[in-house]
Amino acid sequence: MIDVADLRCRYGDFEAVRGVDFEVRRGELFALLGTNGAGKTTTMETVEGLRAPFGGTVRVLGLDPFRERAALRSRTGIMLQDSGFPADLTAREMVALWGVTSGRRATEDVLERLDLAHRRDVRIKQLSGGERRRLDLALAVLGRPELLFLDEPTTGLDPESRQRTWEVVRGLLAEGTTVVLTTHYLEEAESLAHRLAILHEGLVAVSGALVDVLAAQPARIEFDLPERLDVGALPMLSGDVVHRPTGRVEVRTGELQDDMAELLAWARREGLRLGRIRAHHASLEDVFHSARTGREVVAA
Amino acid sequence: MIAALGVAELKLLLRNRTAAALAVLMPMAAGLYFALAMDGEQTGWTMIVTLQLLFSLGFTVYVTVTTSLTARRQDLYLKRLRTGAASDVVVLTGVLLPVVVLGLGQAVVLLGISVAAGAPMPARPELLVAAMVGGVALSCAAGVCTSGVTGTAELAQITTAPFFFALVVGGLVGSNGALELPVFLVPGAGLGALVGAAWGGPADQVGPAALSLVLWTVAATALAVRFFRWDPRG
Repeated sequence: MIDVADLRCRYGDFEAVRGVDFEVRRGELFALLGTNGAGKTTTMETVEGLRAPFGGTVRVLGLDPFRERAALRSRTGIMLQDSGFPADLTAREMVALWGVTSGRRATEDVLERLDLAHRRDVRIKQLSGGERRRLDLALAVLGRPELLFLDEPTTGLDPESRQRTWEVVRGLLAEGTTVVLTTHYLEEAESLAHRLAILHEGLVAVSGALVDVLAAQPARIEFDLPERLDVGALPMLSGDVVHRPTGRVEVRTGELQDDMAELLAWARREGLRLGRIRAHHASLEDVFHSARTGREVVAA
Repeated sequence: MIAALGVAELKLLLRNRTAAALAVLMPMAAGLYFALAMDGEQTGWTMIVTLQLLFSLGFTVYVTVTTSLTARRQDLYLKRLRTGAASDVVVLTGVLLPVVVLGLGQAVVLLGISVAAGAPMPARPELLVAAMVGGVALSCAAGVCTSGVTGTAELAQITTAPFFFALVVGGLVGSNGALELPVFLVPGAGLGALVGAAWGGPADQVGPAALSLVLWTVAATALAVRFFRWDPRG
C-alpha cells in the first residue's frame, strides 16, 4: 500500500527526516512512533501528500502522493494531528461539506457511529475536545477509505473515548482498511499495531513486526532478595543479573520461562520467599526507550 | 465542490460578527453616505461612484479575503481542506467565491443607489465592467498575498492598511482626469481612470489605465504564489 525509500525532508537548512525507509502492507495497522521532533509528523504529512519530499521516493497505492493527490484522495482518509475545524460550522454542516470535498460521499450516518448524533446541530466551537476528535475521526472514515492515516487520534481523550476510538479502528481493520497510526501512547500501538517503525532524530531506529520487535528485547524477572542472602547464592541463570542497592534483583533474559522455572525451583528447595516477584516480556516502552537512548534498557 | 466550499465560507463569514460587519455593513454604510450625503452635483458623481467601488473592493474583497484566509489558516482549516479531493486552486476559488459575489453585488447595489440619487448612467459601461472585474481580480490576488505575510486575523487590520490606502488614494487620483504616467504606478489608479473614462473622462487614458490594472494584478498574483502559505508551520 505504501512504499517509502530513503525519504528526506527539510525545513530550510534543518533536515527533519534524514533517510527513512518503510513499507505498509494491505490490511495491517502500521504504527509510526517516535519522540517529539523525531520526524514522524513530517514523515506522515509527506506520505499524505501535503508536502513534497526533499529526497527519496514515496509511493502510496502506487501513486506519487504529492503530484497525484487528487487521484488518491477518494481512496484515503486522513486525520491530522490538529482537526482544522472552522469554529462556526455545525457538526452536520461539516459532515455535509466533507462528503463533497473529501471525494468520498457519506454512505452511512457517521455521526451515529461515533455517538455524536445528538450534537449534530451544535457549532463546532461548542463541542468538547473529545467530541471534536470524534468528529474528526468520523470525517476521516467517511465513505470507508481503503487507507486511513491517523496522526495521534487519541491525544487528549478520556479513557472511554480512547476505547471507543480503538473499537472503531479495530472495526475498520476487520473490514480490510489499512491504517497508518502515530501515537504517543505506546500501549495503544502495542494493542493495535501489526508492524511498526520507531523514528529517532529523523532516522528509523527500530522497525518490523510487533512480535519480532518485542522478542528482540530481553524479558525481565524482578524480585526482592531475602535479607542476608548474597546475590551469588542465586542459581545459574541464562540472563544477566543486576542487584540494586534497594535489595531488588533484576534478571534480564532471553529465556524467560527457563530462568523463571529455575529460580522458583531454587527458592522452593531453599525454602525462600522472593518478595514482590514479577516477570514480563519486554514492552514497547522498553523497545522505545532503548531506541531513543541507543543502548540497552536498564529499568529503574 | 467549489459551491460547497463557497456556501460553507459564506456561513462562516456571516456568523462571525466582526467579519460580517466589516465586509457587509461598513462598505454599504460608507457607500450610502457617499451617495446621499455628499452633493453629487458639486462633488462630481464620478468621484462618488469611484469611492463606492473602492470601498466595496477594498473592504469587502481585499480586507475580507486577507482576514478570512488568515483565520482559516490559523484554524488549520486550509490544511484540512488539502487533505480532501479539492485541488489548491479549487480550495482557494471556493473560499474566495462568496467574497467576490458579495463585493460585486454591493458595488452594483451602491451604483443603483447613486443613479437613483441623481447620478448619470455611465457613457461607456463596458469600461465600468472592466474596472469592476479587474478590481476584483487585483483585490483577490493582493488579499491572498497579504494573508501570506499576516500571522493572525487580528494582525490583518494592520497588514491590510498600506495596500488599502494605496488603492483608495490611487483610485481617487486616477478618476480625476488627465494623468501623468507615474500615477499609474499606484495600485488603484488604473481602476480609477477606467471608472472616470466610463463617465466621460479622457479616453486616451484607457490604454495605460487598463495596462496598469493588468500589471498590478499580475504582480500581486506572482507575489501571492510566492508568499501564500497553507499551514501556519510554514
